[in-house]
Amino acid sequence: MSITRKDFLKASSLVAAGVTLPAVRGDASVQRMPPAQRPGINRGVSLYSYAGEIGVTMTLEDCFADMFDMGAGGLEILANAHIENYPEPSVSWLDSWFELIDRYEIVPVEYGHWVDSRLYPGRELNTEESLESLVRDIKLANRLGFTVMRTKLGVTDEILTPVANWQEFIERALPVAEKYNVRMCPELHQPTALKSAIVDEYVNFIERTGTQHFGLNIDFGVFQLEEGRMMIPGMDNPRSDPEDMIPLLPYTYACHAKFTLMSDDLVDPTHPYEKILKVMREQHWQGYLLSEYEGEGKDIIGHSSDQLRRQHVMMKRYLGEV
Amino acid sequence: MLEPSTIQQRGFRNVADNGNITGFQVAIRSKYYRGVWLSQLRPATVTVDGEVFSGDQISWTVSGRTVLQSELAQHGNIHWGNAEAAILTVSKAGGLNPGIHDVNVVFWCSASYMPPRIDLRPFGNEPRRMVLVR
Repeated sequence: MSITRKDFLKASSLVAAGVTLPAVRGDASVQRMPPAQRPGINRGVSLYSYAGEIGVTMTLEDCFADMFDMGAGGLEILANAHIENYPEPSVSWLDSWFELIDRYEIVPVEYGHWVDSRLYPGRELNTEESLESLVRDIKLANRLGFTVMRTKLGVTDEILTPVANWQEFIERALPVAEKYNVRMCPELHQPTALKSAIVDEYVNFIERTGTQHFGLNIDFGVFQLEEGRMMIPGMDNPRSDPEDMIPLLPYTYACHAKFTLMSDDLVDPTHPYEKILKVMREQHWQGYLLSEYEGEGKDIIGHSSDQLRRQHVMMKRYLGEV
Repeated sequence: MLEPSTIQQRGFRNVADNGNITGFQVAIRSKYYRGVWLSQLRPATVTVDGEVFSGDQISWTVSGRTVLQSELAQHGNIHWGNAEAAILTVSKAGGLNPGIHDVNVVFWCSASYMPPRIDLRPFGNEPRRMVLVR
């Protein structure tokens, strides 16, 4: 059966209030947020962009209102930063969440979370503990209506090789992710190149398991020009070419539209957006570009919003929206 | 809403037990862009007018739970979210005198997604001149 968005919201609130629902509604697979993604390439914002202001000079609602102005309804939250009383939000917070996403036409796209392998000093989380952490977040992501998760794994070296047991706990979480209709996606972020052993390992895992519940999030910082790239002592930080995305796009469920500075003539001088978006359009990729502003001045009131607005004018241009 | 600085004015006062002042408390927000579990924190130092407090002279109160600093590492299930000011309670018989104090707080957080070499990142270290009334 299909349920409407209003039914979904109502059902969610009742579940949060501990009210028993008719059996069919109580099943997680039926409570899925109806797929709200529109065809094609859509724009959105990661609330990370507002990190210098949220909770100090901006509320969650202020962020949503800003996104509404930009027509950038796709939302990424960072669960432990933006959900009050994470990982157990109150009923009143949940009610407010659903009301706000409805009012500002927000589409919950990506739920950012971590499997913090070094949660305890001096040792790594074992597979069971990592799985437990994943399952907790999978359920909460689904509860809030998200369908993609930016699953940040613990790393063991300078080029961000994930922990040795990542395949074990991700594989065990796949049936849970399927049940709760989410896709766990590590973020491909510099200094990891798109053509690298790390990315090959992710792709091999997807191909071996045939899963549609583990994929990739490409962070456009991998394409950043030399100027501005991370400097790592004794390490290369090779720049990827937008064409390197092509074999990965079928597995890519969301992207971080990373930027660090927009110019007064509304271009990004250090990330080749025109070429990135040309490749994505040619490949008919569908999903959300979630802006991640990672430049200076995030704590200056209004600065991140100004930068985001500039970037969204640019992206509209390259996406053919204007 | 919280104040922009790490050290918050609201929450700065002496604390008493049965009428005896046993110390003082200072509230801090985290400027890390994500919340952390208490076991991801490393013990803070609090400095007031040059006097340094550390170790179990300090306890953290987060989400309604109070934990001595030597026990932080065990609490991987108490979460400090960005919207909440943590209260650091510092033992000091007699507390602080009403008046102006120069206060600083430094603490560290673990980041498993970063290379182990830079797992720990420092926070705070933004001295603030504060007024204590009671």
